[in-house]
Amino acid sequence: MDDNNILLSLEDVSTYFFTEEGVAKAVQGVSFSIKKGRMFALVGESGCGKSVTALSIMRLVPAPQGKIVSGEIFLGKRDLLQLSVKRMRAIRGNKIAMIFQEPMTSLNPVYTVGNQIVEAIRLHQRKSASQAWADAIEMLRKAGISDPEQRVREYPHQMSGGMRQRVMIAMAISCRPTLLIADEPTTALDVTIQAQILDLLGELQEQSEMSILLITHDLGVVTERADDVAVMYASRIVEVADSRKIFAEPLHPYTQGLLKSLPQLGYSAKRLLTIPGTVPEPLHFPTGCKFHPRCPIGCSDKRCQTIEPPMRAVQPERRVACWYAPGYETNEEYKEYESKYGKHKRVSTEG
Amino acid sequence: MIEREQITRKKLPKGRSLWQDGLRRLRRRKLVMVCFAVIVLYFLLAGFIYLAELFDWKVGPTRWQEEVSESYEPPSRKCIFGTDIFGQSVFRKTLYGTKISITVALCASFISLAIGVPLGAIAGFFRGFVDEIIVWIYSTLSSIPYILLILAFAVVLRDKTLFGYKLTGITTVYLAIGLTSWVGICRLIRGEVMKHKEREYVLAARSYGCSNSRIIFKHLIPNVFHLVIIDFSLRFVGFIHAEVILSFLGLGEAERPSWGAMINDARIELSRGVWWQMAAATIAIFLISLTLNIFGDALRDSLDPKLRVQ
Repeated sequence: MDDNNILLSLEDVSTYFFTEEGVAKAVQGVSFSIKKGRMFALVGESGCGKSVTALSIMRLVPAPQGKIVSGEIFLGKRDLLQLSVKRMRAIRGNKIAMIFQEPMTSLNPVYTVGNQIVEAIRLHQRKSASQAWADAIEMLRKAGISDPEQRVREYPHQMSGGMRQRVMIAMAISCRPTLLIADEPTTALDVTIQAQILDLLGELQEQSEMSILLITHDLGVVTERADDVAVMYASRIVEVADSRKIFAEPLHPYTQGLLKSLPQLGYSAKRLLTIPGTVPEPLHFPTGCKFHPRCPIGCSDKRCQTIEPPMRAVQPERRVACWYAPGYETNEEYKEYESKYGKHKRVSTEG
Repeated sequence: MIEREQITRKKLPKGRSLWQDGLRRLRRRKLVMVCFAVIVLYFLLAGFIYLAELFDWKVGPTRWQEEVSESYEPPSRKCIFGTDIFGQSVFRKTLYGTKISITVALCASFISLAIGVPLGAIAGFFRGFVDEIIVWIYSTLSSIPYILLILAFAVVLRDKTLFGYKLTGITTVYLAIGLTSWVGICRLIRGEVMKHKEREYVLAARSYGCSNSRIIFKHLIPNVFHLVIIDFSLRFVGFIHAEVILSFLGLGEAERPSWGAMINDARIELSRGVWWQMAAATIAIFLISLTLNIFGDALRDSLDPKLRVQ
């Protein structure tokens, strides 16, 4: 891979929560890299560790329970996990900005929206107050708010959810970050607004060449807009690929299941296909491959039940974590397993 | 500033903050406004006496030392509340007492807020070890009976020098009150901050690079500040009472008249049928207590959204 083209890369990042009931391994050994000017989608069910991954990048994992226990996060050549608190603060908002799921609560109710954008600008840039205000108005305009000169003086409670999300976006892009993390930016909004917000993100990305890490559970969103996709399941990434490839030919049974359970236009089934079972709790993960109890292959396969498959490249630019993914048998772990236990008898993959 | 575009369509209503909204609601209630006027009157009177003393104006309250008549003159048209043992006008003394009471209550409030609000916010925000220490301190303080504690502080502080400044009379009183009464507001702010710091706007503020202190003082405290105002208005009465109690117990201001000292004097006088000194001080205390209480309650109703009934 061309290293110059990579903006952010995570290497084997694990984030655990040390709770009274035990250690919840929210994120385990996550690795992926985001290329410059591209939209990277992180897809998964709720509770699979998507948001914690995002918070780990920002180093905002709720302390003291949450802790990034291992790994490296490179922004360019700097390892974010090694930076001092002060230097990390200089990166937040400036190089990496974030927008959140709940636009209704992510603005401070006692300040006007202008005040908050100005604060974000002046934290990172030496600008006079009046210049920062002019900037704030400009950013609101860019974020598609009509009449920004008026709106800049309004309080969050005077705005609708979609507008607040636009304000959040204006705030996030105010320092021209190189990476924008959008943590389910459209979940709390209705469908038409969702499309608008996503279009806006796409436009802004094209204009400013920033990369976007889009966290979502909505596969429809991903197909249309993302360049690269990582599918996450129970604290691990199970498949990473170009978005076209992943939809054309999903390799991991979980990805396959997700795609099968999407409703399709022009095809009327009585019931959508579902993946049986539920997402395991982070305190009680199953042994082996975490997906095996719900997997059509893994539920009856000894190897899936005992040994967790690591993420390995199966095709150029494609990585997957499944013993049965086509191309996986060329990997060292696979060969090592076979040399130890003899040839593994494959379960029939029909069904 | 950017040049304003010509806006042809109707202007949007101007943004109103939670504060403006609350105060607007408050202004609609007549009784509350009357109470507010009375409170303002008390404050103006206190301020006026300060100025009068500063510029040596010879007006009623500053001439309280003058003998206007025989001692124990009953209330008459000439002297509304009669005279005390020295023939000084009780009315003038009562007016002068306003200054003492308001000063004590204001200073004590500021001291207790200055201690309680930051401590509470820090405890609630950082939790852990810091929180435990702060909670331990205030639990210990609050486990001691209030009057005893305040007396102890007053006795200890009396006639000491602090930063080269001799503590006398009312300085002792408001220091003692202020240093002992921050527990309530501290506890309140701590709880509120604990709740607010989980809100997403705090995370958002962090995500654009705010430091902890900035989040506490710029984002969290403004969000809980209505509680400070409400607490201030309700506690103010308590501080006036505390001053009265301390003066009554002989630990307050000795040289100048205060309501507490007047009531203390009245103790002996009452048996001789001299009721006016007691009555004057009581009415003064009653009026400010009542108005402050009504106003404080109304303030809470209009500023605390959770209690808001509409």
